[in-house]
Amino acid sequence: MERLKRDFSTISLVMIPVAIAINIVIGTIVYALKLPLYLDSIGTVFAGAVAGPWVGALTGALTNIIWGLSGINPGYTPYWPVAAIIGLLAGIFSGIGWFKSWWKAIIAGLITGLVAAFVSGPITTYIAGGVTGSGTDVVVAVFRNAGWGLLPSTWAQGAISDPFDKAASFLIVWVVIRALPLRFLDRFSRAEDVR
Amino acid sequence: MSQSFSLYIPTNSGMHRLHPLTKLALVFLCLVLGLFLPGVWLSYATFALIIIPSALWGGVLPRLLSALFKTALPIALSLFLIQGLFWPGGTPILHLGPLSFKEEGLYFSIQRTGRFIMIIGSFLLLTFTTRPDELMLALNRHGIPNSITYIILSTMQIIPRFQAKANTILDAQRSRGLETEGNVLVRIRALLPLIQPLLLGSIVDIDERAIALEVRAFGRKGPRTSLLTLHDTPAQRIARWLMLLAAVAVIAWGIYLWLAPRFIA
Amino acid sequence: MIRLADVTYRYPRATVPALDGLSFEVSTGQFCAVIGANGAGKTTLCSALAGFVPQFYRGTITGSIEVAGLNVVESPLADIAGTVGLVFSNPFNQITGARFTVRDEIAFGLENMAVPVAEMEPRIEEIMRFAGLEGLADRSPFALSGGQQQRLAIASVLVMRPKVVVLDEPTSQLDPVGAKEVFSVLRSLATTAETTVFMAEQKLEWVAAFADRVLVLHQGKLVADGPPGEVLASPDLGRYGLQPTRYTQVARAAQLAGLRSADTPLPVTLEQAVEFFN
Repeated sequence: MERLKRDFSTISLVMIPVAIAINIVIGTIVYALKLPLYLDSIGTVFAGAVAGPWVGALTGALTNIIWGLSGINPGYTPYWPVAAIIGLLAGIFSGIGWFKSWWKAIIAGLITGLVAAFVSGPITTYIAGGVTGSGTDVVVAVFRNAGWGLLPSTWAQGAISDPFDKAASFLIVWVVIRALPLRFLDRFSRAEDVR
Repeated sequence: MSQSFSLYIPTNSGMHRLHPLTKLALVFLCLVLGLFLPGVWLSYATFALIIIPSALWGGVLPRLLSALFKTALPIALSLFLIQGLFWPGGTPILHLGPLSFKEEGLYFSIQRTGRFIMIIGSFLLLTFTTRPDELMLALNRHGIPNSITYIILSTMQIIPRFQAKANTILDAQRSRGLETEGNVLVRIRALLPLIQPLLLGSIVDIDERAIALEVRAFGRKGPRTSLLTLHDTPAQRIARWLMLLAAVAVIAWGIYLWLAPRFIA
Repeated sequence: MIRLADVTYRYPRATVPALDGLSFEVSTGQFCAVIGANGAGKTTLCSALAGFVPQFYRGTITGSIEVAGLNVVESPLADIAGTVGLVFSNPFNQITGARFTVRDEIAFGLENMAVPVAEMEPRIEEIMRFAGLEGLADRSPFALSGGQQQRLAIASVLVMRPKVVVLDEPTSQLDPVGAKEVFSVLRSLATTAETTVFMAEQKLEWVAAFADRVLVLHQGKLVADGPPGEVLASPDLGRYGLQPTRYTQVARAAQLAGLRSADTPLPVTLEQAVEFFN
């Protein structure tokens, strides 16, 4: 409880909007550059890494809720549990010291990506019938044609695209944590876990 | 540039003047209807009977339909093509060369498209007609902590500032000859020098922003007051309870329809 | 009222103290300016008066700091807010972002202190007039100019009626017109409202024209303390990395050239310079 109070200090409350803005602004740019990535959870991963799993989870959940309810990307809101789990996992991996080396950060990202794909599958299936309206839907078509069920096809799609994206995001956060002056990093509750 | 990251349309309709919680209850009812109504066509019917008239009352119908169309079209197209054409073991009803549309796949696609437009339509209705600060104040009064409403409101106002900052950095890099078009590698390389300054610059600002909040007694415990006022009426309070009851009834009905064949048979 | 007794402070991981054996007192209603080169400790001193050093920045502190009757080293920050106001130079970072209009932004601190709405409204009206923000009440804080935003930041702190206002280079991002407006507001605050004003500032001409008293910091130590006419005309200023005002420079050149007697006190403001050369 004491730990949780320290995680949700004023610094965290100010950092969360900045982290959400980073998610949304970089996510939008990456989309505009038509890259085969999303990179819309860099802020969430950073929040989880420096302020613990619960701050990470809140950052992720609010990113999707705000992005959706702003009216700009309404399809994102139902995926808030996925984003929350990404932040939660980033916080857990940070707690066991996996942000201290670049290759552990990449592995943590790959695992997070697999879990994210697993959780988003049922949401995609129930709300949008298994498609996302993007290019990766071709993967769903291939698996459906091979006689796979709806949910497994959606899972297969996610498992192919998500781990790569999350590994890239975790690696970028590792780079940022290296580059940040210690006196700023020190202000966060989990600074000692990441450097 | 818009001052906040929201598609709120400031007009003075009756819909706009409703208490934010009344609109939230309406949106909740719409979500429940979209997610739990059985069959294929009921979600289209509720869309036509609830969302369209409400949007019309709020004077936001054209904007709502165009935003909805933009979001739902790619999903609907994907749905019809993928689930319509590749439904395993479905009954073919329309042949297109070697492929065929399956009856089950088409039904499924129509149903999920209906569900999707109900969900998205109700979100958009709330966004277009509700001032974010009034909505947050209403939630605040009903137990959502101050810290959460602070996060949501300040995020909405920080994002446009960030977008401007990102555009400045992108322009500066373009003028220094950095390519932002070309193959994937070229585009990834354009991204990295953008992310670093954006991230580091904004993280360094966090310190001052936290101090500024503390100076304004943000960390003080205990009750707070609010300059913003919300107008509520007894009729709206009753309407909110009725909508919640209706939502519960629909959920119960949906669960019953889902369970009945499994137990009665 | 501000009272420091032998205050020494080190930031975390720092070996050299940022504040080194500071002792001074500022009485109620005084407009006190602190000057010094970059890194002299001005910002740290301002943060310490509002409790953020050491409560926010951590690090180690010895000695005692009392501001408006509060032991700011130990009182919770939430209790210091409202009694000690703090303003700094970047207006953008001082806007909470959680309010959509100028009026609501000013109200933010009062809301947190649970001031009743009936009392809030006249206080906000009054402070908007005082800070020259009339007619902007319904605008977005982000739609204002830099100067207006800084006056909004000051108004948002003053509306809480602090007994002591601490400002860390509040005019560094303002044009001369904006800077003069801010200084006038603070001058009348100290004179009429019995509020103590403590300000770190680089623009010595403004300090000379508006402050009652000037402190000079050098490497965390207090090296000079007195009325502006005395401190700013001192020949030691250069040793602390500071440049005297142009009026002092011209007058000193005139003395050295033998055009004016070396006994006449050197001017620090335009008015004094006019008198000096007449």
